[in-house]
Amino acid sequence: MGPAPAGAQHRGTAGEPEVMESALEGTGKEGKKESSKKHTMAGSPVEGLLQPVKLSRAELYKEPTNEELNRLRETESLFHSSLLRLQVEELLKEVKLSEKKKERIDAFLREVNQRIMRVPSTPETEGCFRFLPPAQVTVVGSYLLGTCIRPDINVDVALTMPREILQDKDGLNQRYFRKRALYLAHLAHHLAQDPLFGSVRFSYTNGCHLKPSLLLRPHGKDEHLVTVRLHPCPPPDFFRPCRLLPSKNNVRSAWYRGQSPSGDGGPEPPTPYYNTWVLQDTALESHVQLLSTVLGSASGLKDGVALLKVWLRQRELDKGLGGFSGFLVSMLVAFLVSTRKIHTTMSGYQVLRSILQFLATTDLTVNGISLCFSSDPSLPALADFHQVFPVVFLDSSGRLNLCADVTASTYRQVQHEAQLSMVLLDSRADDGFQLLLMTPKPMIRAFDHILHLRPLSRLQAACHRLKLWPELQDHGGDYVSAALGPLTTLLEQGLGSRLHLLAHSRPPVSEWDISQDPPRHRDSGVLTLGLLLRPEGLTSVLELGPEADQPEAADFRQFWGSRSELRRFQDGAIREAVVWEAASMAQKRLIPHQVVTHLLALHADIPDTCIHYTGGLLDTLIQGLKETSSTGEEALAAAVRCYDDLSRLLWGLEGLPLTVSAVQGAHPVLRYTEVFPPTPVRPAYSFYEHLQERASLLPRPDKPCPAYVEPMTVVCHLEGSGQWPQDAEAIQRVRAAFQLRLAELLTQQHGVQCQATATHTDVLKDGFVFRIRVAYQREPQILRETRSPEGMISLRDTPASLRLERDTRQLPLLTSALHGLQQQHPAFSGVARLAKRWVRAQLLGEKLTDESLDLVAAALFLHPEPFTPPSSPQVGFLRFLFLVSTFDWKNNPLIVNLNNELTVEELVEIRSVFLATRTQLPVMVIITPQDRKSSIWTQDGPSPQILQQLVILAAEALPVLEKQLMDPRGPGDIRTVFRPPLDMYDVLIRLSPRHIPRHRQAVDSPAASFCRGLLSEPGPSSLMPVLGYDPPQLYLAQLREAFGDLALFFYDQHGGEVIGVLWKPTSFQPQPLKASNTKGRMVVSRGGELVMVPNVEAILEDFAILGDGLVQAVEARSERWTV
Amino acid sequence: MVARRRKRAAGTSETEILSPPGYSAIPVKFSEKQQSSHYLYIRQHRVREDTKSSWPQKRTLFVLNVPPYCTEECLSRLLSPCGPVQSVELQEKPDLAESPKEPKSRFFYPKPVPGFQVAYVVFQKPGGVSAALALKGPLLVSTESHPVKSGIHKWIRDYADSVPDPEALRVEVDTFMETYDKKIAEEEAKAKEEEGVPDEEGWVKVTRRGRRPVLPRTEAASLRVLEKERRKRARKELLNFYAWQHRETKMEHLAQLRKKFEEDKQRIELMRAQRKFRPY
Repeated sequence: MGPAPAGAQHRGTAGEPEVMESALEGTGKEGKKESSKKHTMAGSPVEGLLQPVKLSRAELYKEPTNEELNRLRETESLFHSSLLRLQVEELLKEVKLSEKKKERIDAFLREVNQRIMRVPSTPETEGCFRFLPPAQVTVVGSYLLGTCIRPDINVDVALTMPREILQDKDGLNQRYFRKRALYLAHLAHHLAQDPLFGSVRFSYTNGCHLKPSLLLRPHGKDEHLVTVRLHPCPPPDFFRPCRLLPSKNNVRSAWYRGQSPSGDGGPEPPTPYYNTWVLQDTALESHVQLLSTVLGSASGLKDGVALLKVWLRQRELDKGLGGFSGFLVSMLVAFLVSTRKIHTTMSGYQVLRSILQFLATTDLTVNGISLCFSSDPSLPALADFHQVFPVVFLDSSGRLNLCADVTASTYRQVQHEAQLSMVLLDSRADDGFQLLLMTPKPMIRAFDHILHLRPLSRLQAACHRLKLWPELQDHGGDYVSAALGPLTTLLEQGLGSRLHLLAHSRPPVSEWDISQDPPRHRDSGVLTLGLLLRPEGLTSVLELGPEADQPEAADFRQFWGSRSELRRFQDGAIREAVVWEAASMAQKRLIPHQVVTHLLALHADIPDTCIHYTGGLLDTLIQGLKETSSTGEEALAAAVRCYDDLSRLLWGLEGLPLTVSAVQGAHPVLRYTEVFPPTPVRPAYSFYEHLQERASLLPRPDKPCPAYVEPMTVVCHLEGSGQWPQDAEAIQRVRAAFQLRLAELLTQQHGVQCQATATHTDVLKDGFVFRIRVAYQREPQILRETRSPEGMISLRDTPASLRLERDTRQLPLLTSALHGLQQQHPAFSGVARLAKRWVRAQLLGEKLTDESLDLVAAALFLHPEPFTPPSSPQVGFLRFLFLVSTFDWKNNPLIVNLNNELTVEELVEIRSVFLATRTQLPVMVIITPQDRKSSIWTQDGPSPQILQQLVILAAEALPVLEKQLMDPRGPGDIRTVFRPPLDMYDVLIRLSPRHIPRHRQAVDSPAASFCRGLLSEPGPSSLMPVLGYDPPQLYLAQLREAFGDLALFFYDQHGGEVIGVLWKPTSFQPQPLKASNTKGRMVVSRGGELVMVPNVEAILEDFAILGDGLVQAVEARSERWTV
Repeated sequence: MVARRRKRAAGTSETEILSPPGYSAIPVKFSEKQQSSHYLYIRQHRVREDTKSSWPQKRTLFVLNVPPYCTEECLSRLLSPCGPVQSVELQEKPDLAESPKEPKSRFFYPKPVPGFQVAYVVFQKPGGVSAALALKGPLLVSTESHPVKSGIHKWIRDYADSVPDPEALRVEVDTFMETYDKKIAEEEAKAKEEEGVPDEEGWVKVTRRGRRPVLPRTEAASLRVLEKERRKRARKELLNFYAWQHRETKMEHLAQLRKKFEEDKQRIELMRAQRKFRPY
């Protein structure tokens, strides 16, 4: 990437009296050339890296020109910031149609016009449909307005059918629609023979199955340039508007059911949807006229509409029947212009903002709006429309509801999105543009739980069960859209407080060839519902109903059916209630599944075999060994409770020379992010060797490796005092004395088993092992002190002081902050653990620290934009993969604003410091309020290559997993993305499961493993269990120490059976003879010169020697390398 | 690869083993079972005249590339046929300077995991060095009579060794603190003695312990003083008072905007290059 700072360089060098405007365009060829020359002179800049801008004083402080000032002022008043302005301009450039293409499209349109007019008419015969060329061919829609966006360029063409072929009562019983279809079929038949068209196909207009339209695409290389859609429409004033009011019936029941008119005189049900569809055809031209007068000359408004279309499309809101289409948005703009909320001079960004603001604050399901301002008493009232349509937005005629097909849930989704976007825009976040307009929000990543209904033909039965015959009649038999509204209402009511938002996929608009039959309703795939859950509501297992003697009780019983029971509550009330079976957090999260299955079976006759619920499929990966119902939140809480008890013991300890000033957890368990929570250890003594005098158990060589017990680190700060020595070595000794004393006192006063070393005290409490580290606040300070030659004492960071600072200060702070986060967002634990599990399963766990991954997971909750914080581990994990695969680590720090401590100004400051010091910072930079500069948790890795590998793996895993989860036939093998690719490694070291203590935690958990010396019942606990003994880790430590400069070693600590070894690319290059180069190398003669190369054969044998007993086989894939 | 391996195997047995100039090479293997071997590169320990070295020049053998499983005892045993060995010291890298001879506390400085190391072997007699240089090998680290533990057995032993002995630790801490306290007391006594006593040139050292304590000589303290000064000065200054000050703030604002604009343009340029503006 050469031209990064091109503008700057260009401006810096050429001192011409330019304006900002010209500089903007000055990034052309000339600028690039110059800057690349500069770069080569200045040394090689890192590819694609932002450099801090350097402008000379003269440049910065020269007199501004008028134009420059104007532009700056405009940016300040019309846009959020100059960056946003530039971004919006770029985006519009990308999506708008170029002039060149427009010319080609225009040419094509002229051709189409001619061909249509040339289609021969058919002779008039009695009782038959007759074709006559259209009375008028007009282009309508976004193309004419200049608001259509790439990549799908559609040109809508209205064909006015001549009056002669229609008859008076055609509005009745779908006659008009059938004639319309025949008209198109005739056209299609003739146009298909024309070589001008690459394809001639049918589709449904906006998904309405009564209204086909004809799609024409040009031939040859222009095939994807444009799609021309032909919509026949009735001649103006053909239908009498009063016949098409929402309260009128135009589909007779008798005709619909195929009976002869019975004449029983019962009132016919109104057919509002049918009427709307007819009306839509009559209003095509008046709409386009309205829009062209409003948008006509205001380029800002057009930009706004284009931006809104992008916004809708990223949210998958604009497609299908009842989608919130670009046309609706244009009409909304027209509405806001008419109410003076938008002015024609506004910029695109301001239009976007105004519309979002309007959507976020206006509920069209209650207060409809109208573009019609006449006070004609013959016009129906808004209330009439509210009775039959969920969302009301009347056009200028006052008779047509533009939002007729939009369901209430779709509108609520739009509203929800608009609210989120407004929050985002108001927060003045730096990358608001990215999140608002460039981030796709597919259903699977936006909603906590997804459910598919399949096959769709079940909905037909559901319609009957829900008694939706009038709706069916109105919809012309389209049971999917007829049932959609009632079904979503039913589920919304049932899910109640658990639900934040329910969204449904809209039936897709399919295309078909003119020789084929049109697709049937049941062929339109599956109906997918997305649930956005409310975490507060998820914890309850109870659905509280009214008191038994209240009249509402009957409704409650009717709604819940057999699940409703009478219960007596503690306050003495006897109420109807529904209780769901769920013991653990994981099960509680899945109560919506129970609700949905129960309600659909009860009210809609949809059996649970037709419901495919995707919500907890990934739970198995973070379930403990013998767990099937819990995802470990309970086990973690138990450990944390035990830690709380311990900290109380420490606080109340008597006889310590100094008092305890703070007890802080510093282990993943204590922030709920340990992948496999610890269980109380109950060692079977016969399994171990005993070291009686030190009250410890030892592993035995003849037995399988004992269970892995990792002590949980707890930092215990002691008060400051003048008694502490001021010398690092002495402090160490005093701390050791405290460790010993602590162990003694805890054993004496509370009878817990303790073991003290120089740096920590291990405490066995209720089967959990804690590692208490005594800390002295000033110790890092003392380690930092260095004395300059002049006797001045200055503070310099040393590795030891940094390490101590990290372990005793930053780690506890992070742990408590994340502990707090878990209390706010119950799904955090699951997400962080799944994320960690995945990274480790990809064998990259060593390079990415626990803390850094926890922070990335925390970022998903603290900065969820454009989503909401995840409420299920599944969606959180998908977003983790998305974040990892798309985040630009090179040019951005990942800021995790824990507890919201950083202000906007501080964030700006952090970003500029980041840019200035980028080269000294690690590849992955994670900033927290406690760590604003150095990114301590990623200091020691990952390396750029490892990060790159992680990004690639995440980018590959995400679509695979999403596809699996969205597959209505079931996900298949959900563990696929957790299995690491092994073909990239040069050597594979296979380990024997006998000595892998965590073997059962493997992704593909073995059915049986070895006995690990644990009892199921509590036994005596006088001896300390074996702590932190994990042979694979010990082996890896040795390998890395011995061969770390020749190779990289990859391993999954959760039961991995294989270590992947990758030779470093440089390690096979012959090295000159040097004493420091000899490690593991040998001298060979290369072209008469003595050089050192790795002694690969001996090293491969060393792999086996060092891991004697653990290593099963060393597989060298020697075809992959040459020495 | 197979062919090459065979060739090399043949090569090692027939032709002489290559070594860096000045060194001789001895093949070393873990045990009989291993096929290929590492090479110890050895030479007599020599340093330039002016550098000091704690190792006796004539009697010390310098060994490079000692494999991780080869311990000090083991090296001593392997080289003892050349003559009685006085001491063996393994180090991570060659170290000419005086190394701290006193043994470090095993409680506070746990033994690091070994990698490839260098060794200084001191023989009792100079003859040992020349005998070692003539060794042919291959040396075997682990034999039936002297097995060396590796893998599982080694880790279990290490674990057992790491189980702490609180009594020994207590004793060590106590002795250390005793000497430390004594040292501190001595220093204080000395400081008290020197308090207010001028040295030979007549200078009196002012310390914190005197009757009127002074600021400690630390960087932090001096920074604090500077900061205070700066703040005092800033309070006196008038802002936006004169016309030129107004002008300057405005100009400054404009400059900020310009800078921001440049930065943004650079960002956009980069995003365009990364095709970040394709919405879907």
